[in-house]
Amino acid sequence: MNTELSSRERVLKCFRGEKIDRLPVFSGYGNVTVHGLEKYGWRFAEIHVDAKKMANMAASTHQLFGFECAVVPFDMGVEAEALGAGVNFYAHHTDVVYPTIASKVAEKVMDLDLKIPSDLAKAGRIPLVVEAIRLLKEEIGDRVAIGSWTLGPYTLAGQLVDIGDLAKMTFKKKDMVDKVLDALGEVIVEISRIYREAGADYMTIREMGAGPDILSPRIFKTLIRPHLEKVFAAIESPKILHICGDTNTIVEEMALCGADAISVDQKNDVAESRNKLGPDAFILGNIDPYMVIVKGKPDDVDNAVKEAVANGVNAIWPGCDIFPTAPKENMKALMAAAQKYGKLS
Amino acid sequence: MASEERTKEIINEIRQALINYDEDGVGEWAKKALDEGVDPFIATMEGLADGMIEVGELYNKKEYFVPELLLCSDALYAGLDILRPAIKASGRQSEAKGSIVLGVVEGDVHDIGKNLIKMMFDVSGWTVYDLGKDVPLDKFVEEQLRTDSEIVGLSALMTTSMVAMQDIVKKLKEKNPNVRIMLGGAPITSEIADMYGADGYAESAGTAVDEAIRMIKMLKEEEMERK
Ligand code: B12
Repeated sequence: MNTELSSRERVLKCFRGEKIDRLPVFSGYGNVTVHGLEKYGWRFAEIHVDAKKMANMAASTHQLFGFECAVVPFDMGVEAEALGAGVNFYAHHTDVVYPTIASKVAEKVMDLDLKIPSDLAKAGRIPLVVEAIRLLKEEIGDRVAIGSWTLGPYTLAGQLVDIGDLAKMTFKKKDMVDKVLDALGEVIVEISRIYREAGADYMTIREMGAGPDILSPRIFKTLIRPHLEKVFAAIESPKILHICGDTNTIVEEMALCGADAISVDQKNDVAESRNKLGPDAFILGNIDPYMVIVKGKPDDVDNAVKEAVANGVNAIWPGCDIFPTAPKENMKALMAAAQKYGKLS
Repeated sequence: MASEERTKEIINEIRQALINYDEDGVGEWAKKALDEGVDPFIATMEGLADGMIEVGELYNKKEYFVPELLLCSDALYAGLDILRPAIKASGRQSEAKGSIVLGVVEGDVHDIGKNLIKMMFDVSGWTVYDLGKDVPLDKFVEEQLRTDSEIVGLSALMTTSMVAMQDIVKKLKEKNPNVRIMLGGAPITSEIADMYGADGYAESAGTAVDEAIRMIKMLKEEEMERK
């Protein structure tokens, strides 16, 4: 009898805390590589604006290396664009350049007049992402977990207005910021619902702009956490909260936001976080997506996985988007290391 | 003329108001400084600049975070707006330390760090030509030639955008071998700065200005030797 789990089963069982053969290797955000781009002959700039290309690229890391998920989108402009911001895709660039917000909705929080489309499913590139999720579901959805993500309320606000003004207003006009975050929280809940309905198996909320590299743990607790709690209370499991940077001082706060799992990057001391949060907490991340997966040698990748597992992560999961220039050998080493260190008896 | 004691008091108030990101307070005390005849240059250096150094330390100790720094920055500019014209009027032009072209490289919109660096140069009396974020390579070269700045400061927060710095350094040096270039941003290290052919690197806002001054000094020494 063949008892080998499919990637999708392994990922979903892992989230449910059910018995699995080994830790899955997957991620909550972008993981396309230049090898996938080469395979199809596409440029990075094209894959954010075409559902078919987006879906194919999202599946390519699974196809080439066995990475156990397919995740869309790849850029941080989707939600902001749906709310009226302009995105630069660097259409003429041949290198890997990530899309950026070219025009904000307003410079200052004070001048932000949020116009939330009555039907978000039709706004900006949301229909395109939905189509990509549907295609993925159709093509590989029976075997491979399909993931999607949105920004968190604060980070999204930082895409709509100048992030510096936003930061200052957290002190000067906390009520005003609170209102904006409330409205954006609802947008995030709705987009998550739309993505799940299209076929996404799990959602990651990336609140990277609110970590201790930017805001104090005190502001995180009083201003950021309440909105994340509302968001997570309203979206379906499995749901993950990701914050990068030096998150050691806020992991307990992160754990209180109501997500099923928290995701951190290489700056987090996972052994310490595990200690603080106890054996039942679900902790993802910690593998350095650039210095190790792109710049390291296969041995470094092997080591990073070994260490992350020893420190207590619940899956093999990079700390941020895998950078597209990751060498093939390193991607292979990542997958091999999961077999080597991820076995669960 | 304010007495020595009163001068000290005013400078101290400016510094304290700055540290407490009290924009109005800084403005009021800066005005008092001028009204009571305190040297605006001293008020700037010992009030505002020293205050910013303390703010930088609070940030390094993780007592202050980005919002606090940006609020201090507003308070700083409130003070500079009042004191700078007075410094100019006093004819103390020679105090201008130098000028710097600053920007975040193309494809990269992470500009929080760059804005903090800008503030440190401003408070130290430098002329800053801020190109903003997502700046095309040629723009750095053009702006350096246009302004004849001694220093060009490049910022990148992503390892992908960081790579472009190498080309910018090369182009800048081709056009003007005397320009001094400093790199910064989380993924940059002094080894990378060396490898890219840059002249300097600073890990944080606290050390950036000293590094720039060191670079200009070296440039002047080299010029002396050549003569
Ligand atoms: C906030 C943030 C964003 C915001 C930026 C908003 C803004 N206007 O700045 C948004 C949400 C837009 C964003 C987008 C993206 N981001 Co981002 N982001 C961050 C984050 C969380 C904080 C950066 C920051 O502001 N730090 C605080 C400042 C004060 O520090 P600093 O910039 O390092 O500056 C100090 C020093 O470096 C130095 N310095 C800085 N510049 C200079 C210049 C000179 C001349 C000198 C001397 C010194 C100097 O002095 C400063 C003060 O001390 C970091 C992760 C982290 N926690 O660091 C990721 C991070 C930088 N982002 C990352 C990524 C991948 C992205 C995206 C590609 C994601 C995506 N899928 O689209 C996009 C890219 C957009 C683009 N093309 O630019 C990665 C980069 C990975 C890598 N190694 O390349 C990081 C490291 C996250 C991670 N863990 O992987 N991001």
